[in-house]
Amino acid sequence: AEYMGGSSMVLKFILFESASGYALFERTHSEEIGELLDEVQKSVMEFSKFSRLLKLKGFVPFISAESSLENINNITEGVMNETLLAFLENQGLQKSKGDKKSKFSLGVLDPKLGGSIKDQTQIDCECNDTVNELCRGIRLHLAKFLKELDNGDVEKAQIGLGHSYSRTKVKFDVNRADNMII
Amino acid sequence: GRGGARGGARVVVEPHRHSGIFIGRGKEDVLLTLNLTPGHSVYAEKRVSVDKVGGEAGEKVEYRVWNPFRSKVAAAVLGGVDHIHIFPGCKLLYLGAASGTTVSHCSDIVGPEGVVYAVEFSSRSGRDLVEMSKKRPNIVPIVEDARHPLKYRMLVGMVDTIFSDVAQPDQARIVGLNAQYFLKNGGHCVISIKANCIDSTAPPEQVFAGEVKKLREMSFKPQEQITLEPYERDHAVVIAEYRVSKKQKTSE
Repeated sequence: AEYMGGSSMVLKFILFESASGYALFERTHSEEIGELLDEVQKSVMEFSKFSRLLKLKGFVPFISAESSLENINNITEGVMNETLLAFLENQGLQKSKGDKKSKFSLGVLDPKLGGSIKDQTQIDCECNDTVNELCRGIRLHLAKFLKELDNGDVEKAQIGLGHSYSRTKVKFDVNRADNMII
Repeated sequence: GRGGARGGARVVVEPHRHSGIFIGRGKEDVLLTLNLTPGHSVYAEKRVSVDKVGGEAGEKVEYRVWNPFRSKVAAAVLGGVDHIHIFPGCKLLYLGAASGTTVSHCSDIVGPEGVVYAVEFSSRSGRDLVEMSKKRPNIVPIVEDARHPLKYRMLVGMVDTIFSDVAQPDQARIVGLNAQYFLKNGGHCVISIKANCIDSTAPPEQVFAGEVKKLREMSFKPQEQITLEPYERDHAVVIAEYRVSKKQKTSE
């Protein structure tokens, strides 16, 4: 397990990054972490059971193709940008400066992003098997959690962003393009 | 007769045992997939057009010929694999997509209700993959390193199947990493293993056994293994189930 902060906090929130936007989930019960992992593994396949462990606290959609691309580029590098910072603040996760003792932690999949969030907000981040398992469940049931999106919308966003992300990764050969003009 | 150059009017198309795959019975039998983009070939493969069953006069259905010497999935199907785990409506994560020739056939098979997440790291192949995907609305092209699945976590949903043809010595580890984030409980991996990519000194059988052992250590339960003779030499396809659900024990 990888903890970025003190050892006294309780995993309370989960950040989930999707092609459609950022989602924040909140744990509804406070099982011991050991029990939680067990619970998740037992319930993950069925939305009716899994949704008893977590509820959707907030979601911010990406407003344009440009915004989606900018966000995936930052997330890929493990960097928290303005959009994500504003989202976490709007969800009330920003800690006040004097508050040294953290009562909760935010689960994230990528330790590097967790470090970036901790640096900028003082929010303690957590990255371990439990977070991983919860994110598997969220990924499986995302469309059901986000009631404004149906399954097709989640996939349309993945396809659109897959194209724009991959285009920037492919180095176009200028000479080759020139040759084709003849 | 009509359309002779395109495989002939005498071809009769039958469904294969594997849903979404077809056989063209003609002078020689060929493997086919139903073309998702009629009128277009992807890599100059032949197309076969036949009258639509129950359709109006002149209404056609178009299939694309799938060459087992160019596709390990096709070779596995013709080699008699029990389950290929790529089917209509399937969500498929394809690691090592290359230029996308086999990906295009998988796109035909999974159809409009399915999705193929196609990962390829090389930008040269990736360019062809992106171009091909433009015409096929069920492919998510991902030009990224399959060793770092977190980099593409925003692009991929939970999948039924991972197919892997990355030809790297640590392929089993790469599949395990991706499964951990993206493969459903009870989903499958279908892995193409080229023996001398893993270890060029050991006998192929020993290399395959070693890869199967690594899969077991990552919560996979091996189900099938076939070699790809006569289409590929010293190649095997291994199929395994992920996180097989244990029978619920009754508490005492």
